[in-house]
Amino acid sequence: MLDVDVEVPRSSFVVRAAFCVGVAGRLALYGPSGSGKTTVLETIAGLVRPSRGHVVLGGRTLTSAPPCRVVALPDRRIGLLAQAPGLFAHLDVAANLAYGARSPAQRDRLPGLTEALGLTGLLGARPRELSGGQAQRVALGRVLVTDVDLVLLDEPFAGLDPAARAELAGLVDRVLAERRVAAILVSHELGEAQGFSGRLGVIHGGRLLAVGGSAELVRDPRTSEVAGLLGYRGVLPPTVTGDGTWRGVHPDRVVSGAWSERGIVLTGCVVRVQPHGPRVRVTLELPGAGAGRGGRELPEGAPVRVEAHLDAPVEVGQPVTVTALDPPLLDPPVLDPPVAPRQAGT
Amino acid sequence: MLIGTSVPFAAGRRAGHTFAVLASLLVWLVMLAPLLPLVTRLHARTIAATGRTGPGWSPVWVSLGSAGIALTVLVLGGTGLAWMLATGRLPAPRVWEAGLLLMQLMPPLVIGLLLVFLVGPYTAVGRLLADVHLSATNTFLALVVAEVYEAAPYYVLGAQAAFAALDPRLAVTAGLLGDRPVRTFRRVSLPLAAPGLAAALAAAWARAVGAFGAVIIIAYHPYGLPLAVWTTLEEVGLEQALPYAAALLLVAVPVPLAAYLWSARARRRR
Repeated sequence: MLDVDVEVPRSSFVVRAAFCVGVAGRLALYGPSGSGKTTVLETIAGLVRPSRGHVVLGGRTLTSAPPCRVVALPDRRIGLLAQAPGLFAHLDVAANLAYGARSPAQRDRLPGLTEALGLTGLLGARPRELSGGQAQRVALGRVLVTDVDLVLLDEPFAGLDPAARAELAGLVDRVLAERRVAAILVSHELGEAQGFSGRLGVIHGGRLLAVGGSAELVRDPRTSEVAGLLGYRGVLPPTVTGDGTWRGVHPDRVVSGAWSERGIVLTGCVVRVQPHGPRVRVTLELPGAGAGRGGRELPEGAPVRVEAHLDAPVEVGQPVTVTALDPPLLDPPVLDPPVAPRQAGT
Repeated sequence: MLIGTSVPFAAGRRAGHTFAVLASLLVWLVMLAPLLPLVTRLHARTIAATGRTGPGWSPVWVSLGSAGIALTVLVLGGTGLAWMLATGRLPAPRVWEAGLLLMQLMPPLVIGLLLVFLVGPYTAVGRLLADVHLSATNTFLALVVAEVYEAAPYYVLGAQAAFAALDPRLAVTAGLLGDRPVRTFRRVSLPLAAPGLAAALAAAWARAVGAFGAVIIIAYHPYGLPLAVWTTLEEVGLEQALPYAAALLLVAVPVPLAAYLWSARARRRR
């Protein structure tokens, strides 16, 4: 069981995160670049010292502050797999894999891991001779040979082509499940985060905004900030919903046509069309709906715009009717503080 | 039309390239020109005579021995300092670096002069050495001391650059894989920095073997090769000094050359 509750001052904001991961459990931390995900991971790994809080793993307090006490890296029993595999260039693959193996039990894991990771034919190769995916597999094997209680994955699939990424993600999933070791993945790819774990943490600006089941969070993000991070591209104000509520629109949960029994019917004018894989991404502007009550998400008087991924080809300027399927309720947006009028002559 | 205009352009570029190669060759030959007398003026009879007169070939062994000891001292004492500097483990690192740079830039004659005031017979260090029947003036020990001081900045600063070029995340990775810092240093930092360390060692070796300025002041005896060149030139003649000059070249060059070749090969393999 991992228990994390830390505050870490960074140059632009303070990273605050509190969550738990069960034995052999998993968590995916999702957020945009620079949101503080890696800082959380580095704090757990013991590379960054928090100003306040604790990291407890399996009943052992690894980090506590204040005063800041950090258990040394070799004693933390934590493995870290980063975007750069960090293989030792002077050692071949076999020596890299065996680097952390001390006990006979650890050395006994080597053949099985080598085979599971598909590295049998590469044992004599040097790191410079490996592809990105192969190097990451060696790095993963090197971590799993040791007696780790937790594996931290810091965007390990970034920089790989889609096929290698999917293959490595599947391999990581399988090997971690076999070893029954807890793991945390940080990623700025929502699909990757959801594929890794059914439990998702959304982080932005150093704040862990929400932690919950990944499907539930995407279906019901609660706040427009979380909704925006999870791919929602439109906030419907009460002037549109008609029931005094605020709701979020996800482009993938919009269908062409009026289906009032399935959601909220919206008619608007197409202001932008972009290709989106086999479909088109359409931006609709809803006329007469710009009576926003103000706030960051929908400034006073701003037109309401929603995005939809549609199959039918449309053109800019064309009126289109769509249905937002069961758009989730959102908390009312935070109002901007009123600006004091400037005094004349001052 | 396009081909018609590109042919003279390509020909002009070839001519320009040929000129650049010839000019480079000329500069290179001018740089190597001082080696010419070793081929044209060094005769077998002069070499044979060197073995029978004056200090004979003992300066070769003196230079090899003293430089070998000096480098051992530097490796044992300087590697740790270089690593501490490179990994930011020392407070006010610029001050430490400035001190090393000062020693590197200081004229060797000045180093020798100041060493007299540090380890000479009438200093505290000199008296301490005398208590154990040693002296750091005009002795083999003095030669080693002079060579250490002349070569130290070259090794420490070179080793610092070698360690600083390492990715610090590798040490973190080794730590998370169970290595304590000393073990990480031995298993990761040292082997990965080895090519750079070899280059630093080569520079220090050349500097130690060829040390003259500090040596002539505090270690006039026993003769190493640079002093053998000087004294033979002063007391016997120009041509008689050539065998010692050739020996100095033979002693000074192979180690740096081997280190350079090994270092280049090791870098290519990573």
